[in-house]
Amino acid sequence: MKKLLGAVSMLCLMTTGALAADKTLTISVYSFGMDAMAEAVFTPFEAVCGCDVVIETGNSVERMAKIEANAAKPIIDVAVMSAHDALSLSRKNLLHTMDFSKISSHADLYDSAKDPLGNQSAVGYGYYATSIVYRSDLVTINSWADLLSDDLKGRVALPNITGTQGPLTLKMLSEALGHEGAGFEETIDAIGDSADDIVTFYNRSSELAQLMLQEEVIAAPVGRFAWSRFSGADLPFKWADPKEGQTGGMNVMLMTKDSGNEELAYQFIDYWLSEEVQTRVANSKLDSPANSKVVVSDEVAEALTYGADLINSLHMLSPATIIDNRDAWVDRWNEKVVN
Amino acid sequence: MNSKLASRSIIVITLLFLIGPFGIIILAGLSAGDFMTFPPDGISLKWYAKVFEVKSFRASFALSMFLAIGGTIAALLLGIPAAYAISRYKIPFAETIKTIVAAPIIVPGIIVGLALLRYLVVPLNFTVTIALFLAHTALVLPYAVRVVSSSLNNLRSDMEEAAVLLGCSRVGAFIRVVLPNIRSGVLAAFILGFVTSFNQVPVSLFLSGPGVRTLPIDMLSYMEMTYDPSVAALSALLAFLSVAIVFIAEKFLGFSRYV
Amino acid sequence: MFQNNREGLFLALPAAVFTGLLFLLPVGFLLAEAFKVEGSWSLQGYIDFALKPLNQTVFLRTLKLGFFVALLSAIIGYLCAFCIINLNDKSRGRVFGLVILPLMISPVARTYAWIVILGRTGIVNDALIGMGLLDTPIRILFTETAVFIGLLQLFLPLMIISLVSAMENLPKDVIAAARVLGANWFQVFTKVILPLTKDGLVMGGTLVFTGCLTAYITPAILGGSKVLMLETLLYQRVNVANDFISAGIIATILIVMSFSANQLLKRIASARQ
Repeated sequence: MKKLLGAVSMLCLMTTGALAADKTLTISVYSFGMDAMAEAVFTPFEAVCGCDVVIETGNSVERMAKIEANAAKPIIDVAVMSAHDALSLSRKNLLHTMDFSKISSHADLYDSAKDPLGNQSAVGYGYYATSIVYRSDLVTINSWADLLSDDLKGRVALPNITGTQGPLTLKMLSEALGHEGAGFEETIDAIGDSADDIVTFYNRSSELAQLMLQEEVIAAPVGRFAWSRFSGADLPFKWADPKEGQTGGMNVMLMTKDSGNEELAYQFIDYWLSEEVQTRVANSKLDSPANSKVVVSDEVAEALTYGADLINSLHMLSPATIIDNRDAWVDRWNEKVVN
Repeated sequence: MNSKLASRSIIVITLLFLIGPFGIIILAGLSAGDFMTFPPDGISLKWYAKVFEVKSFRASFALSMFLAIGGTIAALLLGIPAAYAISRYKIPFAETIKTIVAAPIIVPGIIVGLALLRYLVVPLNFTVTIALFLAHTALVLPYAVRVVSSSLNNLRSDMEEAAVLLGCSRVGAFIRVVLPNIRSGVLAAFILGFVTSFNQVPVSLFLSGPGVRTLPIDMLSYMEMTYDPSVAALSALLAFLSVAIVFIAEKFLGFSRYV
Repeated sequence: MFQNNREGLFLALPAAVFTGLLFLLPVGFLLAEAFKVEGSWSLQGYIDFALKPLNQTVFLRTLKLGFFVALLSAIIGYLCAFCIINLNDKSRGRVFGLVILPLMISPVARTYAWIVILGRTGIVNDALIGMGLLDTPIRILFTETAVFIGLLQLFLPLMIISLVSAMENLPKDVIAAARVLGANWFQVFTKVILPLTKDGLVMGGTLVFTGCLTAYITPAILGGSKVLMLETLLYQRVNVANDFISAGIIATILIVMSFSANQLLKRIASARQ
């Protein structure tokens, strides 16, 4: 038995392969646009630091679960996720408190990105707006309330409550329907009343894109980061400008506590936030910059969520509001909407 | 013969339902457009080509092959002696042993992955690869025991008894008399185990780490990025791989007798 | 039979110890977690779980889908198996090969095709509209119907295989004999075929039902978050809420359901005689 286990682990070691460089940085990132992201950030960084970058991808809940499971002996050094996911990790005391003086471009960030959690455990690197994508040949969207209108019966999808876009949609629907309070009770009930007319509550923007391209769905709230999936298609998709405004969010970078790899982690974060890299990422239309010095062409700006005016106009939900209310939202959602 | 026509149509309709979707997958992968449609938007091989360009598919294909081959061999090393013992000896607790070995079939895979993650990987510092290997071995083991048992049961035990009486050692009798006679059963078990392990999803859902991910999980995660036709192309390629293996096995072994 | 039991035990133990220690023990730990609430043993977790309306809905849905998929595949399975065993040897082998072929293909691929087939602009809707049965396309994706179709396609081969092997063991002339003696087809089926193939039905029924309970990909892709089944609910509880108590409870329910389905089918089968 022991021999077998020994042989097996030898075999595993051999297949995993010995790592070439002696320095390794393990990062956990969104799987979205991975190849392009590697080209714009991770591969050039390997040349700069003389280290290997190992990438873990997946959806944010899975990645968070793994950071938590491995808290005693962190595997991940740096992770990027939504501000509220970072806050929930921070509240579990899993994050390293950063020394912003080690990040040379910190002063150039938009104010809201400088210390999004208020406790130096994360730093913003990108923004996105969230609005409604719709088929302009079939419907017009002027308000978030149109999502539940008769025109869209049986042809609309909403983001699932468990993802990042779900609560943002609830917030804007509440504003449009005139409901107050962070509990979103009436809004959730209203969605529950129309649940049969909603095609699905999507979990991933790729899933939504497939549904909209095969004309199953003709309108749905979606983050700007996924806009390129629609803008390049043959069908006439439009980005709505609802009268209540757009919502949105911020993605942040964080370091896990006691990873033992802090120096390399700072170097990586500093690199990613630099004007040079933020410009490169923006020009690849991957992420909208948080570094205020980045200047891009109009064509690139159109694809992104770019500029102080736009960013300041977004109706965001604070990370604390999301974390404090999410269990209640999910409970009510499970009872009224998907039940 | 009306009943013959009826019986033919029943078979054809059922097969169409079972296999038709693959035709669609194969064709959707040939689309020249940017998303999955049927009928496809023009014909091109670009999505089939793209499958080979995605780096992570190579690593995950290698891992899945390693798990499927290594895990099945390990399961056979454990399973053949167990099957032999069950069919040839009157061992105490035989029923209990059979139940334990068969248990992985009814335990939901997702639970297995979660349990191994929480109780082996995290506290005992097992790597994800080892946990995957153990899980896949345990999953294949019931099939190995079942298929090998059934071919042992078809083999008359007086052959090895005769060999022993004629002065062969018990081990020698097993190697010289039994093994050659159950060879096709062992190969059938290997193929069944390989396919089971290679296509396994739920167990691997929670068992993935940086750069360590089985092919089906990698496909799912690729689908999180995009639903473009390359997923269909990859599915079709994998289907061809499985079919080729089974076809060869069927040709030489009459594999379907053992399933 | 060899008499040296120690030797036999020595051969069988590694497999049992391997599965017991590295597979069942961790799973057992996880199931036990559901009985612990804040450190002490209690059934509170189960009570809270049972009281949530969503959990009840998902439980009943899973039971219902599993039952009807097993039932329909038994009906189709008998029809097919009957047709298959009446083929000559060569075409029988070929058809049988085609039936088991889907089992060799990744469930990801198997489910993926249905997104395109069942969509508004997919071939099912096109065909129904073309035949004049529908005016406007119907919504099939993300409904129980979609999950049902996906599961049926996934597990039907298991039923057909089980029933074909059972029917191959039928004495060749019993059906003809029963017909000659004046039995109609219904009587032939209930009085002759069913009793003689019950082992195959029990086997196939258990495999299909258990398969439906533990399938993940099909409900996840075709049902989504609107049509949760126990397995997708489990995944959601763990991933979204880090809720290992619900995970343990759902796992226990799934195992108990699979096991009791098997026992129940056996019971019914033996009561028929």
